[in-house]
Amino acid sequence: MERSNLLPRPATIVDIRQLTDKEKLFTIRINDGGSIRYRPCQFVIFSIFGIGEAPISITSSPLDSEETIELCIRSAGNLTGAIHKLSLNDRIGIRGPFGNGFPLERIDGKDILIVAGGLGLAPLRSLINYIIHHRWKYGKVTILIGAKRPQDILFKEEVLRWEDDSSIETFIAVDLAETNWTRHVGVITGLFKYIDVDPLNTIAAVVGPPVMYRFVVAELLAKGIFEGNIFMSFERRMRCGIGKCGHCQINGIYLCQNGPVLSYRDARKLQEAL
Amino acid sequence: MDAVIEYGDVGKFILELLNDYDVIAPVEKDNRYIFEQVDDPSKIVHNYDTTILPPVKWIYPNNEVLLRFKLSDLTEVKPVNAFRNQVLLFVHPCDINAINIMDEILAEEPADTNYLARRRSSIIIGYDCACPCRENILCFDKGYHKADKGFDIFFTDLGNRFFVSTATDIGKTIVEKSNAFSKAGYSDKTGLTKTNWERDSAFKKKIHGDINRLSHVLKDEYEDAVWEVEGKKCLSCGACVIVCPTCYCFDVVDEVCPDMETGLRYRRWDGCQIQDFCLVASGENFRDSAAERVRHRVFKKEVYLKKRFGRSGCVGCGRCIEHCIADISIIDIFNHVMERKKGHGEI
Repeated sequence: MERSNLLPRPATIVDIRQLTDKEKLFTIRINDGGSIRYRPCQFVIFSIFGIGEAPISITSSPLDSEETIELCIRSAGNLTGAIHKLSLNDRIGIRGPFGNGFPLERIDGKDILIVAGGLGLAPLRSLINYIIHHRWKYGKVTILIGAKRPQDILFKEEVLRWEDDSSIETFIAVDLAETNWTRHVGVITGLFKYIDVDPLNTIAAVVGPPVMYRFVVAELLAKGIFEGNIFMSFERRMRCGIGKCGHCQINGIYLCQNGPVLSYRDARKLQEAL
Repeated sequence: MDAVIEYGDVGKFILELLNDYDVIAPVEKDNRYIFEQVDDPSKIVHNYDTTILPPVKWIYPNNEVLLRFKLSDLTEVKPVNAFRNQVLLFVHPCDINAINIMDEILAEEPADTNYLARRRSSIIIGYDCACPCRENILCFDKGYHKADKGFDIFFTDLGNRFFVSTATDIGKTIVEKSNAFSKAGYSDKTGLTKTNWERDSAFKKKIHGDINRLSHVLKDEYEDAVWEVEGKKCLSCGACVIVCPTCYCFDVVDEVCPDMETGLRYRRWDGCQIQDFCLVASGENFRDSAAERVRHRVFKKEVYLKKRFGRSGCVGCGRCIEHCIADISIIDIFNHVMERKKGHGEI
């Protein structure tokens, strides 16, 4: 029998945590005993047999484990709604990892500025934990996090740990807050006034809702960061992950193969990207 | 190997094929033509114009099952990728060239393994076009009105019998095994040269200007008003992409059988002209207007595929024009942008 590039690997749900009222964290173990190696900002295609498939970015760091991955999933559609109803030990399918992931080879010795809006923290958490693991390899590390309300902040305990960690700077903004909220209130771009950037040595990683990119990129460029040093991860509909089904195409590129991470310098040339 | 076959012996040859293969051939349906699996050679027509759907759809079928599974035992999810051998009979050069393009795109790693498995089980017998089949075609402009590869066996009508050439080992074996053929003589070979020459002079160019410049010209016209104009006409029905012999976009769907136990995953044709093609769960639609979608279809064939593979992804068969109920014509679009450039004195 010939191989199939559309055949998922069997996998099992080994842990489920409720993160917010809309997001859950799933830990997945690959059943075939093999490992799953990936880069931050790569994604897998999650299958529930009988329901369907959807692309989900990996939120664990590749240094955490080779047998399991963590996926932070918002209940938003048919499949993700069904994923939220899954229980421990349920069998699912995983294809991938797909995509280019974050260009780790370009960031050694650099200052890293991470800008995470909403669910964008899910893929960026993979990068943040990867960087923290090798903290000595990088210059200044700054994390900007935006959320709608304080209770919508993902991975709250970890975010608080990052805030307390003297080797990184973390700033949080929420759009709406009760009076006891002591951090920034407003959109994520409001955090840029708190940070100091060395434009010659800074790599920025930006993931968030599509509307966020234009405003954040304007701030980054205003700080003097080079277009080629700003990396963004894009979200599109995807069906195959192998550059064929056509759904994730942005002008001439297939995001599942040539993305989801693009530098602003490359994305700017694609009229359909931003 | 060069051979000839008398008109009266073709039926005998097809009966031989039917012993070993599923035979997919052009037949008449409601005054049009379609490729259909046949078991009666007399139903087959060879002097057809263009079929509604291209023959490549037999290698890339709609609702193709990808996986089968049992909900009670998910340790065994089985891919479906073993297929019966089939012959695609009397395929026109434009459609052979389309298969060549599909092969190149879908074999690129990570490959479309289902397509490749079906492609390997398919034998292609080409049939030459002596003259243009219809008005709105641009195969000649693109040089796709003839095929020099992508077939196993090729038939050319000499006026008194068929000239038969073979291009692959399997094609040669099939012809040699059959006793319906005889060796081509000198007059058959000169007849072939004459027929090919007459064919080339029977076609006329449709595109104003140098077609090799089309990709460059289009790139400059990304913001042209023509996309809004054509987008206003477009009904987003997707007919153009469903009949296109080089469109391969798909959606993946799961289905559980009524026994609530067995299930299957299949893919169905999808198309970039459909309104929700780029809609994501958050509600964002990344190609929301018909103008953007029409432009994407044209750019995909003429700019993006050309950049990746060095040749246009449109073979000029004209099906998208014929089946568009809103009268959108890529010939008109191409000529519009070429004329605009000419008006600017740039070509």
